[in-house]
Amino acid sequence: MRVLLFFLLITGIIHAQVPTKRLLNFRVCYGNTQTLVVDSFYKLHQSDSIQIEELKFYVSGIRLWNGTKQVWKEDQSFHLVDITQPSSMQVSLAVPANLAFNYITFTLGIDSVTNVSGALGGDLDPTKGMYWTWQSGYINMKLEGTSNLCTTRNHTFQYHFGGYQYPYHVWQEVKLQVNKEQPLHVVFDVKKLMEQLDLVKQPEMMSPCRDAVLLSQQMVQFFKTEEK
Amino acid sequence: MKKTILLFGVFCVVLSGFTFVSTVTFFVPHHWPKPVYDFNKNPLSADRVLLGRVLFYDPLLSKDNSISCASCHSVYTAFTHVDHALSHGIEDRIGTRNSPTLMNLAWHRSFMWDGAINHLDMQAMAPISHRDEMNEKIENVVSKLQSSAMYPKLFYKAFGDSLVTGQHTLKAISQFLLTLVSAQSKYDSVMRKESAFTVQEQNGYRLFKQQCSSCHTEPLFTNMQFENNGLTVDTTLNDYGRMMVTQNKHDSLRFKVPTLRNIEFSYPYMHDGRFKKLSQVLTHYTKGIQQSHTVSKKLQQPIVLTSNEKVDLIAFLLTLTDKHFLFNPDYAYPKRILLDTP
Repeated sequence: MRVLLFFLLITGIIHAQVPTKRLLNFRVCYGNTQTLVVDSFYKLHQSDSIQIEELKFYVSGIRLWNGTKQVWKEDQSFHLVDITQPSSMQVSLAVPANLAFNYITFTLGIDSVTNVSGALGGDLDPTKGMYWTWQSGYINMKLEGTSNLCTTRNHTFQYHFGGYQYPYHVWQEVKLQVNKEQPLHVVFDVKKLMEQLDLVKQPEMMSPCRDAVLLSQQMVQFFKTEEK
Repeated sequence: MKKTILLFGVFCVVLSGFTFVSTVTFFVPHHWPKPVYDFNKNPLSADRVLLGRVLFYDPLLSKDNSISCASCHSVYTAFTHVDHALSHGIEDRIGTRNSPTLMNLAWHRSFMWDGAINHLDMQAMAPISHRDEMNEKIENVVSKLQSSAMYPKLFYKAFGDSLVTGQHTLKAISQFLLTLVSAQSKYDSVMRKESAFTVQEQNGYRLFKQQCSSCHTEPLFTNMQFENNGLTVDTTLNDYGRMMVTQNKHDSLRFKVPTLRNIEFSYPYMHDGRFKKLSQVLTHYTKGIQQSHTVSKKLQQPIVLTSNEKVDLIAFLLTLTDKHFLFNPDYAYPKRILLDTP
């Protein structure tokens, strides 16, 4: 009897799919290589400068694909990536060992179902500063800083990209080719986004609108994988 | 005998795995529709409702600790404020809209006069952070609650965790709001065939069903839709209602249809509190409709009521007063907790 129990226990351990932790690392750069440093001066266009004080965005619904077949998806997948919080730049994924995959996808922002689900916890807690109060809905990406181009008080710019209701739903899918043998490194080039913004005419965007949708569609192209 | 002891032992072990939560059953009045609030995601318990009630009455939620939710939502006036046409915030700041009544909220999908808020849980965020209301950040509310002597204990009792979070704070406030059910007016007892309308009330009810009920639909006395009821634009406010949320010109001057329950006590009326008396409201509907491309279909033809009919209609509206609701001790200021704690 005891032998049988022992045998069952051992086979149970062997058969259980022990997930391996895979780290998904995010990095924000300015231009091709430089990692963005908060409050540092960067050149924009020919002769203008910017400083970025805050950049955070939601990554949700992380999935792995083998060709066109989805092979893994994370449950309760909501991560707030904040450049001022180094720990948030690394997301730990419980992926089964030996899983074959060559693509990763995730949503940049928060989907509409989650947006209408009431008070949520963890990275979705409204105390994270990523929830609009005057009109319900998550802010998908917050980008704030200063530039000599801005005629606002203290030359600040504030972009809060969000919105979940038609026609101003802004969450977008990011799809990147990955090598499963390598650590997962994803880099976002914020310079490319800055180049799309009109700091003179529109230094602030604080509500769901057509421009937020158009910019979000472009934003997903500024994510790349990199090998380290 | 041995077997009995063993069974009892197993029973005790199983039992010790549970913490006892005194659950509160949400009662849906007879013939009412199913609530839209998902109680599975926020199951009611006596401790959570109590925590929500304490938060509702605590001015700690405002930036200078001077204003609570109850400042603008007083139980005796169906959880609205009767002294001010427009809401009144910290440092005597005045908002742009009349504070709405709070009742039967489990049946609502959207909140505020323009429906800007999509879930009851998120509603409290708006007045807490509005500059002219409480002007406070939810992050600061959470840290004030965490550092108080009383709240970590109340949060522990309610959620099994003394760590205060934004999620638990908002869910607790929702729990108290969900218990604000008004369904014991004279109208309700007539519908349950426990009493009868007077002749005047009965005539008023007939007129109501002809002229008003397409928007103020029974039993909640609102169709939950956004309608333009033909009010002229107040040029000191320039409030275009729903359009400011959807940016759709078809929503211009549409506001959420308010419930008529407890209307006797919830004056002044309309989104900007422009009418103090029900007779003024009826005069608006018979003589004051400003036609425009978004005016509610029902108001495109004039409503005709004789002065006697207006009196009868008002007599019916007064049957929507629910004294059990207005004087319910379960909704009152929780002085045992808020005053006794240092």
